Amino acid sequence: MAAASAREKQTAALKRMLNFNAPPLNTSLSEPVWKVLIYDRFGQDIISPLLSVKELRDMGITLHLLLHSDRDPIPDVPAVYFVMPTEENIDRICQDLRNQLYEAYYLNFISAISRSKLEDIASAALAATAVTQVNKVYDQYLNFITLEDDMFILCHQNKELISYHAINRTDIQDTDMEAIMDTIVDSLFCFFVTLGAVPIIRCPRGNAAEVVAVKLDKKLRENLRDARNSLFTADNTAGQFSFQRPLFVLVDRNLDMATPLHHTWTYQALVHDVLDFHLNRVALEEGPGPDPSPSGARPKRKNRKTYDLTAADRFWQKHKGSPFPEVAEAVQEELDTYRAQEDEVKRLKCIMGLEGEDDGAISMLSDNTAKLTSAMSSLPELLEKKRLIDLHTNVATAVLDHIKSRKLDVYFEYEEKLMSKSTLDKSLLDIISDPDAGTPEDKMRLFLIFFITALQPPTESDLEQYSKALTDAGCDLSPLNYVKQWKAFTKMATPANYGNSGVKPLGLFSRVMNSGSQFVMEGVKNLVLKQHNLPVTRILDNLMEMKSHPETDDYRYFDPKMLRGSESSIPRNKNPFQEAIVFVVGGGNYVEYQNLVDYSKSKQGKKVVYGCSELFNASQFIKQLSQLGQK
Amino acid sequence: MTMDITLLFKASVKTVKTRNKAIGIGFDSGKDEILKRGRPKSGFCPKAREVVANITKLKDFLLQHRKDYVSGGSLISSEVSRMTDSERDQIDQDAQIFMRTCSEAIRTLRHEAEKQVGSAQTKDHRGAVLDLIEAYLRGVCKLYSEQRAIRVKRVVDKKRLSRLLPEHHKREVRAAVVEPAAEEQSVTEETSERSVSEAADPTGNLWEEGREEDELSPEEMQMFEQENQRLVGEMNSLVDEVKQIEGKVVEISRLQEIFAEKVLHQETEIDNIHQMVVGATENVKEGNEDIREAIKNNAGFRVWILFFLVMCSFSLLFLDWYDS
Repeated sequence: MAAASAREKQTAALKRMLNFNAPPLNTSLSEPVWKVLIYDRFGQDIISPLLSVKELRDMGITLHLLLHSDRDPIPDVPAVYFVMPTEENIDRICQDLRNQLYEAYYLNFISAISRSKLEDIASAALAATAVTQVNKVYDQYLNFITLEDDMFILCHQNKELISYHAINRTDIQDTDMEAIMDTIVDSLFCFFVTLGAVPIIRCPRGNAAEVVAVKLDKKLRENLRDARNSLFTADNTAGQFSFQRPLFVLVDRNLDMATPLHHTWTYQALVHDVLDFHLNRVALEEGPGPDPSPSGARPKRKNRKTYDLTAADRFWQKHKGSPFPEVAEAVQEELDTYRAQEDEVKRLKCIMGLEGEDDGAISMLSDNTAKLTSAMSSLPELLEKKRLIDLHTNVATAVLDHIKSRKLDVYFEYEEKLMSKSTLDKSLLDIISDPDAGTPEDKMRLFLIFFITALQPPTESDLEQYSKALTDAGCDLSPLNYVKQWKAFTKMATPANYGNSGVKPLGLFSRVMNSGSQFVMEGVKNLVLKQHNLPVTRILDNLMEMKSHPETDDYRYFDPKMLRGSESSIPRNKNPFQEAIVFVVGGGNYVEYQNLVDYSKSKQGKKVVYGCSELFNASQFIKQLSQLGQK
Repeated sequence: MTMDITLLFKASVKTVKTRNKAIGIGFDSGKDEILKRGRPKSGFCPKAREVVANITKLKDFLLQHRKDYVSGGSLISSEVSRMTDSERDQIDQDAQIFMRTCSEAIRTLRHEAEKQVGSAQTKDHRGAVLDLIEAYLRGVCKLYSEQRAIRVKRVVDKKRLSRLLPEHHKREVRAAVVEPAAEEQSVTEETSERSVSEAADPTGNLWEEGREEDELSPEEMQMFEQENQRLVGEMNSLVDEVKQIEGKVVEISRLQEIFAEKVLHQETEIDNIHQMVVGATENVKEGNEDIREAIKNNAGFRVWILFFLVMCSFSLLFLDWYDS
């Protein structure tokens, strides 16, 4: 039995917390106990991808409120708090205690609270004589957000503080750096506490990742030594059947700058790239058609619709990694099966209508009542299916619109060729000067990828030409400055090799194949992805299989369980690892995640979890790069 | 994994207390506790708790007697704990009354909560609490209806079994009756045949016919037997069909329940739509009126403008004539 995924562990921890920190009973019908949930923005981000409002209601939560909103006293009701232990939050809790808003208080802090802040709450409670009301205080160690079963990010709220820009800017102070590293280490520590395992850490030398690894190792070691309060005691791991410790690979974003800029072709990554997608929620603007409204009429408002793409959505789980044309076909298939089922129900209705005229209908009853009952009971399922199909149709149509208007398939194909160093059939200059192929940002991305993956830097004159073409197209050249600096800095390291990949366009057949589908994909090439490995995946492969490779031999090795830390990079353990956790300091995106998922699927029995300090899509990354390049 | 730092918190409370005592700030904790108790407890929460307690009592009651209720299916009458049907009916009635009172209580609570003036959050909270209680009650009612469905099914099955048995019984009896009759008939037939062979005249014919009327000949007997059997078979099939129909009717009633639920669901939505449509028609009417008025005003305005222009031109002409 495989160990429970990080997401399941976090959900279980949340549910236990909501049940007043007692393990939830599994009886089918138990008395409802109602409570109020109070969270701050961090808590909201953690809870919202995991539990829906309906699930909260089922657990007895009648109201869920933000900590810093105006809250009215609701006596006789216990309140569960789920907040970060910051100054303002503590002040607000003390205020609540003084105003005696609720009957009982169960305080849960997302990460560990310091002694002095605890004393602040204690004095406020004493002042309000509410000490007996504070029933339980817990450190939950849940300071990370799990988006998928095997993907987590550190935070969403204040991600500017630990973004790529913050870590790599030139005017950074030591204290700032310390603070950022501490935040990252704190969240990673919480992650391992929730997972219940002490990993073996490996990281490259000489960058932010190393600093994080050193600190994390120290923190884990301190905690393990402190036998009284250790969080990794034996009964935590009782539920886990894997006897091996997981491998924790820390990499820095600077290792691979091209992947975040890459145009992508899989469903989830496309949605993240093209639409407004965070915390598993996508927001679409549904506006009127392209024709302008007639004069004199009031302009129609665009309404924004948000959709949740959750784990319960089976279509999403199946297709989030598939290339986009497959998704279009699959939606069509689902629609057809749904229509067939709908027709079946309608047919039954007709039969029922005829029944009154026929005397011999009594014998027909036996069959039809059973069918009708089954149809009735499956009706809610059918409605749910219809809702999901509508959702995905809307989302996929929006993505398709973007693809068509920006010609993203052309970019994708070209970039794949660049990254695999195969021959280019169209010159870069052509694409850049093509006026209707994508936004200036797309062109900038393409050019940056070219610049990053070129083995020799382009000559000055070429560069001039390209810069002119780019500025003509309306791009801002500041990211380029930063990338030049970066390239010079990492010239010592071997250039990242993106592996062999190939992209086979099926342009000839695309029209014929897609003519039956609802999505008119003419003009959009039906590209087939071949398996290739991004740098991060390759590093992981080397480390997990204990292969020797010049890139990874130099990595440092940390084992918090060993008595003495060593500076060596020789691993003690010679067996290949079964479980791995990859963490990118400085930001990651869905393309890497998808690549890792494909890698773990190709290897039997290996589990890979992906994490990053923040999740950005290409446009956000370009913004950060331009900020960095403007210095 | 989590860390329970409640003890740490209590320790820090103690340290703060000692620190405050050292500094000289004292607190009259005893008085404040009493004051706190004196805070008025709103009537909503204890009533809600009461309703929940009642529903729990009902659930315990049902679960307690469930085994006895459901178990009385065997024909061996030596089971001591078997319930009689009247007891079962009693339980059914009690449960129904209880459920009705509980739903009444929930409804009254809801009315009260709506009438009471409170903040929006309190209202939301109360509404959600009532929803939770209703869901709980629905779960318990489902328990009850499951039990009942099992019982009804068992009764139907039992009836079917019990009907079949006397049929077999009757058939045996009839067969037994037919046989000795057949034996008798055969004896008399032989005697009648002999007497028929002795007599050979038409008078004997009449007598023969009379004989046949009184005593059934073997062919007629066979015919009647066959007819009997056919009738029995027809009756059986009719009874089977009726049984099936009964079963189906039960299923249909369940379906009806589901439908009724859905229809009630849609009722509120349809009301909304109705109101909106009424509002829309009114708005359209008003709009029409406004347009009519606007047209009138427009026309009137035009008339006045024309009049003014004509007056101006006439005055101009007049002035011109006056001057020259």
